[in-house]
Amino acid sequence: MHVPIWLVYALVALIFWGITGVTQKLSTNCISTQLSFLWFAIAFVPIALVILAVTPLDWHLKPGILGLAVVGGALNGLGAFTSFAALKSGGKASIVIPLVYLYPLVTILLALLFLHERLTGAQGAGIILAIIAAVLLSREAAPPEKALP
Amino acid sequence: MATDHSPSAIRGKKVPSWLALSLLTILLWGVWGATSKAVSNDIDAYMNQILFTLGLMPLMLLVLRSRRLLGGNNRKRGIFYAFLTGILGGTGNIAFFKSLTLGGQASIVVPMTAMSPLVTVLMALVFLRERLSTSQKIGLGIAFVAIYLLSLEG
Repeated sequence: MHVPIWLVYALVALIFWGITGVTQKLSTNCISTQLSFLWFAIAFVPIALVILAVTPLDWHLKPGILGLAVVGGALNGLGAFTSFAALKSGGKASIVIPLVYLYPLVTILLALLFLHERLTGAQGAGIILAIIAAVLLSREAAPPEKALP
Repeated sequence: MATDHSPSAIRGKKVPSWLALSLLTILLWGVWGATSKAVSNDIDAYMNQILFTLGLMPLMLLVLRSRRLLGGNNRKRGIFYAFLTGILGGTGNIAFFKSLTLGGQASIVVPMTAMSPLVTVLMALVFLRERLSTSQKIGLGIAFVAIYLLSLEG
């Protein structure tokens, strides 16, 4: 059986990204949000260095594009920080991670407003389901005090 | 003082901090998604990864000043998992870009990789022994349909 190479890479991305939800939780079980975030961010440095070493890059970009990409990194980093903080403050990985992955809901709404994109039927349905899902995911089980001793 | 368990008291209850922080994450990543949409035509994935890392630098400097940096009950273990999170996240990004450049169609690769929280949920239930309420289980099912629909390109 021949497995196409693109599928292998896609599976690696799927599994690696999936594992990060659990390692994030394991990390905040042991150390603070701040220290977790610091070491998470430090890990991106060797990856950037490898890219710089092996890939020819085009630095001739418009300053606006360059700036927006850096701001994007900072926004993503802030989101990573708040996701570590959500897990640190008692959020379950199995709830927090699927919940935060509903973020394209906001992206689509912003693209609609500022990038003048049009809403597709699938996206519209996705937005409604995302809101329902968020409400249901936020409903924790009854407090354990009601359980039998 | 007796605790008020009436429905109105529960409705008026403060939003738990994990939930507020998760919603803040949705907002921050949502805006990030829009910025990366805006630059995606002008910038290649590797350059994006470099600039992304540059954007992390000021945040690293900020947390370095935090007094909460010290402490924790098992620092070595915590740092190991945090660093592993970054390595897996970053190499995951590269694998995703590679998949797209080596013949993977975005219409398949994007929705497929968007399902990564499914891997998290399965691992969290098995290895972290997390337990969910019934409405959370239903919520998960709906969330994955939503994540799939939202990942489809317009």
